[in-house]
Amino acid sequence: MSATQPYIPRSGERAANPDRFRGSRTAELKIWWREIDRVLLFLVLALMAIGTAAVAAASPASADRLSTAEVRLPELYFYWAHLRWQFVGLFVLFGASMLTVDNARRIGVLLAAAMLFALLLVPVLGHEVNGAKRWIEVGMRFQPSEFLKPGFAIALAWIITWRLRDPNLPVIAMVTGIMGLIGALLMLQPNLGEAILFGGVWFVMILIAGVSVQRIAVLMGTGIAALTATYFLYDNARHRIDSFLGGGTAFDQVDLAERTLLAGGWTGSGLWLGVRKMNLPEAHTDYIFSVIGEEFGLLVCAVIVLLYLAIVVRVLVRLADEENLFVLLAGAGLVTQITGQAFINILVNLQLFPSKGMTLPLVSYGGSSTIAVCLCVGLLIAITRRNPFLTRETPGLRAILSDRLIAEERTRP
Amino acid sequence: MNALTVSTAISSGRVQLVSLRKSSLDTARLRVLWVAMIFAFVAAIAVIRIGYFGVSDRAVTSTSLEEALLPPRGELTDRNGVPLARAFPAYALWYNPDAMGDASNPLVKSPQRVASELKAIFPDIDVADIAEMLASGRSGYIRRRVLPEDANRVQDIGELALELPRESDRHYPQGSMGAHILGFVDSAGKGKVGMEQVLDDRLNDPVLRNTPVALSIDMRAQGALEDELRRGMLAVNAKGAAGIILDVDTGEVLALASLPEFDPNRIDSEGAGNMFNRVTNQVYELGSTFKPLTVAAAIDAGSVRDFGKRYDVSPIKIGGFTIKDSHDLGASLNVPEILIHSSNTGTARIADQMGGEKLQRTWMDLGLNERPHIELPARGFPIWHDDWPRIRNMTVSYGHGIAVTPLHLASAYAAMVNGGVWRPATLHKLEAHEVPKGRRVFKASTSSRMRQLLRMITLYGTGRNADAKGFRVGGKTGSAEKPGGSAGYKKTSLVSTFAAAFPMDRPRYVIIAMLDEPQGTTASSFQRTAAWNAAPIVGNLVPRIGPLLGVRPDDTRDVDISDLRPMVPGED
Repeated sequence: MSATQPYIPRSGERAANPDRFRGSRTAELKIWWREIDRVLLFLVLALMAIGTAAVAAASPASADRLSTAEVRLPELYFYWAHLRWQFVGLFVLFGASMLTVDNARRIGVLLAAAMLFALLLVPVLGHEVNGAKRWIEVGMRFQPSEFLKPGFAIALAWIITWRLRDPNLPVIAMVTGIMGLIGALLMLQPNLGEAILFGGVWFVMILIAGVSVQRIAVLMGTGIAALTATYFLYDNARHRIDSFLGGGTAFDQVDLAERTLLAGGWTGSGLWLGVRKMNLPEAHTDYIFSVIGEEFGLLVCAVIVLLYLAIVVRVLVRLADEENLFVLLAGAGLVTQITGQAFINILVNLQLFPSKGMTLPLVSYGGSSTIAVCLCVGLLIAITRRNPFLTRETPGLRAILSDRLIAEERTRP
Repeated sequence: MNALTVSTAISSGRVQLVSLRKSSLDTARLRVLWVAMIFAFVAAIAVIRIGYFGVSDRAVTSTSLEEALLPPRGELTDRNGVPLARAFPAYALWYNPDAMGDASNPLVKSPQRVASELKAIFPDIDVADIAEMLASGRSGYIRRRVLPEDANRVQDIGELALELPRESDRHYPQGSMGAHILGFVDSAGKGKVGMEQVLDDRLNDPVLRNTPVALSIDMRAQGALEDELRRGMLAVNAKGAAGIILDVDTGEVLALASLPEFDPNRIDSEGAGNMFNRVTNQVYELGSTFKPLTVAAAIDAGSVRDFGKRYDVSPIKIGGFTIKDSHDLGASLNVPEILIHSSNTGTARIADQMGGEKLQRTWMDLGLNERPHIELPARGFPIWHDDWPRIRNMTVSYGHGIAVTPLHLASAYAAMVNGGVWRPATLHKLEAHEVPKGRRVFKASTSSRMRQLLRMITLYGTGRNADAKGFRVGGKTGSAEKPGGSAGYKKTSLVSTFAAAFPMDRPRYVIIAMLDEPQGTTASSFQRTAAWNAAPIVGNLVPRIGPLLGVRPDDTRDVDISDLRPMVPGED
């Protein structure tokens, strides 16, 4: 009989729900306030506030650009619209953050399944905008890939933790298969940027799931090979990479973005005093970082970069103390989803990455994607909830590290 | 016993699971820190990049004077550098009632007073209309184009609500001249109709927009062509007119006119109705102008060797259809006479003798089975039949049962007189090395014969009104009835064409002049045929453009027709 006998589910008593303190709504709120990561919440709200100011700055440029001879959009059209979306987004954020870990997992998995199905429908029912089929129109227009983001990390984490019950389950192969399917569907749209982002999340999750270093090295090798292949086989990618490597022609989007970014110097020209932004396409979405650069200065740009870094470091360092593998995986996946997208957008604006057509989460004007990002953050807060009065039962990081070092010493001849 | 083993096995599995859970959690807790380090690395790169941007001088150098002076859209010039389309940074006069932040009271002075002050600057405006607009509190353009000095005077009125936004505008200094070649730029900044549409990307290309694009057009020839065409068109009350001047050796279009025209500076509904290009888009049965091409094909095929050979010109009955001439030409004619008198029956018999295959081949070599070769977006598809029975061979030989654009005819004539090489027409100015090699359609010997024959038509035949003294014009008239009416053709609706080349001793240019439905007027001696309306246009045009294009009048030179001259009776 094999030593790793799987757990055999048998009929029996259902595990009793853990006793939860049920009190008044105020008491629940108090518990929520004690349990959540308040630093994270503060950082997110700070970024959203910066986003409000930035959309106010970028709105005249985009409104002017999208006005036609017949319809003139008011200058602050996108600002007011953004405020409405942010308001709804905050509701979603706080609502989601009140969930228990279990409920957050259930919602995440259901959302992932639903959006994966919607993503499958996109090639059939999709709505084409600017030559890419990404949107589905049901009452309102939304991108399934946007709402897949919050669910994706949770679903992957959930699948990976199956292994704790049955070590023989090929969980890594399963999540890789799902990733391959999503990647292929995104490339069909075509939407290479999102495919890379989802790939990044998947990579972080299998890294944390403990795939050996050799295999990760092999994977990075294949990743580079795959990127080279897409360059040669995939027109959408080739054009973007070509224009990135070739420095692009003057006056293309990237060049305009750089001019805008640099126009304000260290301290910026001041709110609504920017000039360059008026020539910038997608000022309120993809290139809002450049508008911030012009109107609020490079220093504020650096602050934004540090804010995102603070979010990711805060979440990850806190997770390093975590005892629940699902929470660890899902939390790391969600925070990678949000900040990964932010860093791709920032690097595009700083001309360190080919143009991707991706918004700056929490800051850009985004319509329904604002809500998707807020849902992401809400679930992240819910999942990383922790009772501050419980202390860790497992050994600390220092102990783990020294254990490993000793083990290595022993294996050495 | 059994139960015991199972339970121990499971419990050992449980132990394994617990240790697996512990080890994967330990790994995960370590690897989370790796991820944090990756992010810290990326953030460090971003911050360093921002710092680099901050201390670099890229922001300063990114705006140069040169760039500020760059036109927003490239310019178009003719072959001699005469500007045809310019980017014109104009002012517009926009009324913005919100400028003072109080929409209910947008003006300092009374609307009536402001309107009359505007009237002093722009005498053509209506004071009552403008006053009403100012009083209504609706924003809008008061004028689309304001000159800089007028803009200053508007500023002096001192009303904040009168805004003068700078708008880059397209200006065509030559007015409506060459409108169909140039096209226009619509309100969204997209080129339309002509070369503005064709060259849209090139003109918007930031790297190239500093260099004007030279077209093959010569504006002086264009002006003369439009002037003579318009005069000819009005003299005979024609519905429209088309004309083209083509360089026979390069295929460059020196002038191209379709009347009535439109003004690209001012697009209105009437102008929009005239955007249709009769030269490149409309196909016509061009009638007798095809006869020289048929004869050339026959000479080339070797079926016409003896120009003195006489062809029967009695009516031909074929398949229930009778081919006859417009008037009695006697019993028989030789080849030069057939062309001079424009005999349908004689040409049909020459074609019949040659055989359909050769004629169809030649027509295809001349590109008459496809859209004309030119850059313009509007190019008409000829009425062309792939099946080619005997009767079609005969009617097509004198230009019926086939409909092509005037540009097709110009390219075919160029090939016939330039030594036999067909080249696509182009609106780009070509350098010597850029001239396409073309394809040979006729032998050089055939081409030199055709020069003689064409010259004889203008000397002794229907083209006499086009024989500008000293310019050695050769050409052929064509008057075709338009399809329609009870008998298949309308007797009184004609398309009269004159297809010419000059100077015939060394042809340089082909000219096509075409009138759509000319009427018989005193100017044309109450005739509708091309000899009386289209040929004189060419006769007047050639002396005007010849010296400009490097052809001087010379009475001492001409193509040598001495071997054919005796075949044509009559005065010299």
